[in-house]
Amino acid sequence: MKCEQARLQMGADPSAATPDLEAHVAGCAACARFREEMRALDVDIRRALQEPPRASVSRRRRPQRLWRQWALAASVLLATAAVLGVWLLRPSQTLAREVVAHVQAEPESWLATQHLSSGDIAAALRGSGVELELISERVTYAHSCWFRGRYVPHLVVQTAQGPVTVMILSHERVLMRRSFREAGMSGVIVPAGTGSIAVLARDGGDMNAVAGQMQHDIRWLPQPH
Amino acid sequence: MRNSQPESPVSSVSERSPGADAQAPLTQLFESLRPDLVRFAHWLSRDRAVAEDIVQESLLRAWRSRDALREPASARAWLLTIVRREHARLYERKRLELVSLEEVVDTAAGPRLAEPDGDLLTLRNAIMRLPIEYREPLVLQVLGGFSTEEIARELTLSSTAVLTRLFRARNKLRAICGMTPVADVADGEVAR
Repeated sequence: MKCEQARLQMGADPSAATPDLEAHVAGCAACARFREEMRALDVDIRRALQEPPRASVSRRRRPQRLWRQWALAASVLLATAAVLGVWLLRPSQTLAREVVAHVQAEPESWLATQHLSSGDIAAALRGSGVELELISERVTYAHSCWFRGRYVPHLVVQTAQGPVTVMILSHERVLMRRSFREAGMSGVIVPAGTGSIAVLARDGGDMNAVAGQMQHDIRWLPQPH
Repeated sequence: MRNSQPESPVSSVSERSPGADAQAPLTQLFESLRPDLVRFAHWLSRDRAVAEDIVQESLLRAWRSRDALREPASARAWLLTIVRREHARLYERKRLELVSLEEVVDTAAGPRLAEPDGDLLTLRNAIMRLPIEYREPLVLQVLGGFSTEEIARELTLSSTAVLTRLFRARNKLRAICGMTPVADVADGEVAR
């Protein structure tokens, strides 16, 4: 038996002990040393195999799978949000812009200081489908304005922080509260009754308090069929 | 209506129907071998979760064909064979997700600081890195205790081919462990 052949046998099975192999190893110090090395290595292999690596492959792979699942879910969510955004937000953004444009077109509304009578306010509300129990001294502007194909009440209410514009949009439904800031005005459109209420402020008028009060004070009348 | 035979050797003996009492020793035998089977499957699949699944399925198969087990003493080898075949079947059913070797090493190298024997960990990682055609006969031989002929039968290879693969597996590990690898061998050169 040649050294190469002996080493191949010992490499395949270090415990091998055929007569030919034993005879060769007995007369070849290098192969004997090689066998000792391989047997020592085999002891280590046996020890190593007793315990698989602590962290298995799956522990790395699973987060990837999870990551992919989350990424997919996020993509679906984003797409859904985008569609919802287009569906929900864009109309209210447009509505907000139109409200701002309307108020800009009536700059004198901000400047009125004279308190209106209950009759003036009632006239502005007429035909709008709402009634308002509002302290008339606080209202300094009340008109029924043409907006989006119908007349809507356009009021200016004085607050401690300044005037606040209110437009009662009984036919403009919004699904959620939406704040906006445009043309030097900050505003909010809130769902209310069968429609919504738009409240705009300049100079820090307390639009949120007014919006809340309006939601509370407005009585939505049954819509004519 | 209760089943007349327990379906799985995994459920506890107390949950079994009265007729299964006679099978309790076999159940206990299977259960006692489960750690070995999981370890074996883990080395084959390189994935703990997959290994658990393989063993679970293997034990079910073994339980259904338990009449084929003549001697309890041969249960370990019998079950290891079933596990190996189940692992192979898994590969046939679906190509398992390929994982880069670097990923395996990175994963396993994580607890290096806590590992008391760094060389052993290196060796463990090196075995994990071995291609399945080398890792499988090595694990069968060292962990399973199978002879070359038994491995050859199981893998449907010639004994010479098995010896060649075993030689190459150890030669690769030898190099990784800092020892001088011997010259490679062409298929079929190793003779016993």
